[in-house]
Amino acid sequence: MTGSPAAQHQLDLVPDALLAGRAADGDTAAFEALARRHGPLMRATARRLTGSLADADDVVQETLVQAWKQLESLRDPAAVKGWLLRIVGSRSIDHLRKRRNHMGLDEVEQQAESHVEDHAKPQIRDPEHSAVNNSRVEALKEALAKLPEEQRRCWVLKEFNDQSYEEIALTLNISPASVRGRLARARITLARTMEEWR
Amino acid sequence: MTEQLEPVGMAPAPTTQPAAANHARSSVAEDLLPVIQGVGGVAAVYQAQPLWQSIAGAAIAAVTGESLPLVAVTEGAENVAVKVRIGVDTALPAPKVAREVADAIRKHLFPRPAAVEVYVVKLGQ
Amino acid sequence: MNTPDDALECGHSLADLSTYLDTGEIADPDHLKWCPECQAGLASLRRLSDLGSELLNSDVADAGSGSDDWMQSILDNLRLELRPGRNIPLRSGHPNDSLFETEGAITALIRSVADSLPGTAAGKCRLHGNITGGTDDAGTGSTGVSTGTEVEAAAGAEAETDAAAPGTGITVELEIAVVYGHPMAQRAAELRRELAKTLAFQTELNVEAIHITVTDVLAPSAPSTPETAAPETAAAGPEPTEIAAAGSGAPGPEAPAPSTREAPEPADTEPTSREDQP
Repeated sequence: MTGSPAAQHQLDLVPDALLAGRAADGDTAAFEALARRHGPLMRATARRLTGSLADADDVVQETLVQAWKQLESLRDPAAVKGWLLRIVGSRSIDHLRKRRNHMGLDEVEQQAESHVEDHAKPQIRDPEHSAVNNSRVEALKEALAKLPEEQRRCWVLKEFNDQSYEEIALTLNISPASVRGRLARARITLARTMEEWR
Repeated sequence: MTEQLEPVGMAPAPTTQPAAANHARSSVAEDLLPVIQGVGGVAAVYQAQPLWQSIAGAAIAAVTGESLPLVAVTEGAENVAVKVRIGVDTALPAPKVAREVADAIRKHLFPRPAAVEVYVVKLGQ
Repeated sequence: MNTPDDALECGHSLADLSTYLDTGEIADPDHLKWCPECQAGLASLRRLSDLGSELLNSDVADAGSGSDDWMQSILDNLRLELRPGRNIPLRSGHPNDSLFETEGAITALIRSVADSLPGTAAGKCRLHGNITGGTDDAGTGSTGVSTGTEVEAAAGAEAETDAAAPGTGITVELEIAVVYGHPMAQRAAELRRELAKTLAFQTELNVEAIHITVTDVLAPSAPSTPETAAPETAAAGPEPTEIAAAGSGAPGPEAPAPSTREAPEPADTEPTSREDQP
């Protein structure tokens, strides 16, 4: 249902599998409930993969359109979250490719953009986090931005979406062995940078 | 999975036209946009051909990275076909606004004959 | 694939440990138990993984809530694409023009009217009847010849073309949820009036009946499990078929067909006495 908050929240209590089942049947309210539930993680992933918040929202929207069309192909309704995130991964890569073709951005500019984006954004003060932890996360963001793109993608898809090597391989159109290698190199570089930072 | 491009020959028009005609067409579409937006009651203009519905559209956009014009214009031998999807705000009656949009497009294209399709896809808000 | 400084002195590599972290597989599991270098390497990778989780949490927090505006506008755009429904022809001023309203636009409008009443939320909404006009669904706006209902249609206002108006004999079905404590019958009546007015203004549909069913009664406080009442058809009872005639001064159709949906209520109707047109 649209509109009053009381009505919206009805579906927010329903588990993923049920919502996905209803959505596959054509229930748009159930689909929207899924979108709201997993939206923030989808947005966060898309943002890390594309480097910008604006692109992230475009990706989320495209993902939801594609997901709606392909809901019947989802074999395990309980796995809808992972399925949505995989689509986010593919769409993020596509989105970057289109943008690069159109505007001719090279990798350095991309990294600079995501770098600036994070620092321009006002810090969200989370009382759970100490000041030290916040700057550790910031240091990780910087280190991440400096990674070669393919390594960064593998790392984000693994750490954010918990995808398997095979799933990442499909999303990035490379072999699972390449995924394993790039992931390892990313981690080695990041771990080393963070050790030095301390 | 990454989307596969459809083979270029499949859908009618855009990819088979020479570049010059492409440019001419997209500037008619670009010119029409403010004409439509200027009609009282038009709250928004939406993509006439949603990407996922248009194979040719998806093919071009994927290759060039450019977005399709909001207003779809097809130049035929007989007339110019225009398709537009609009949102109308609640202050004015939508059927009337739709008719005025069609009139405005027709006037703008005059003396070339036009066949205009207007879809009101959103009412209010 | 292994870079030189990836190798540990014991002969294993950080890359192996990375794979182990993900898959639990490694060539020589016993080695791990006692090798201090491998232990240190694993610890380092695990610290990184924890930090990665912190980054994830931070990013998700930054992304806001799924109920925020950014998601709302994505969903608004989505609704345009997902369920536009049938195209409902509008009268056009030129034979080469085809003008339409989408069913999706109209049902969204209906739902927003319902949502705007206090303590009321829209559920499913359906339009029934000769929506697209005529036997041909392709809907070239100016030629929708309705079968058997020209009498009503011709009465319609500005006849810019000679065509009969499509969209005659329409029934609106709307399910709503009402917050407990709000007067249901009153809300339904109010809603029916508002809808009739709005539809007359914003569409060319000739609406014969608006059926409103209260399908849920919601708890008045925050989002706990709502108590679902049995469908309350009584709410649609007293005036089952007040109609679009309330709107633009277009002459009202003659006596509406008594509602066949809600069986119990009496078919008392008085609307025609209001607008007396020869």
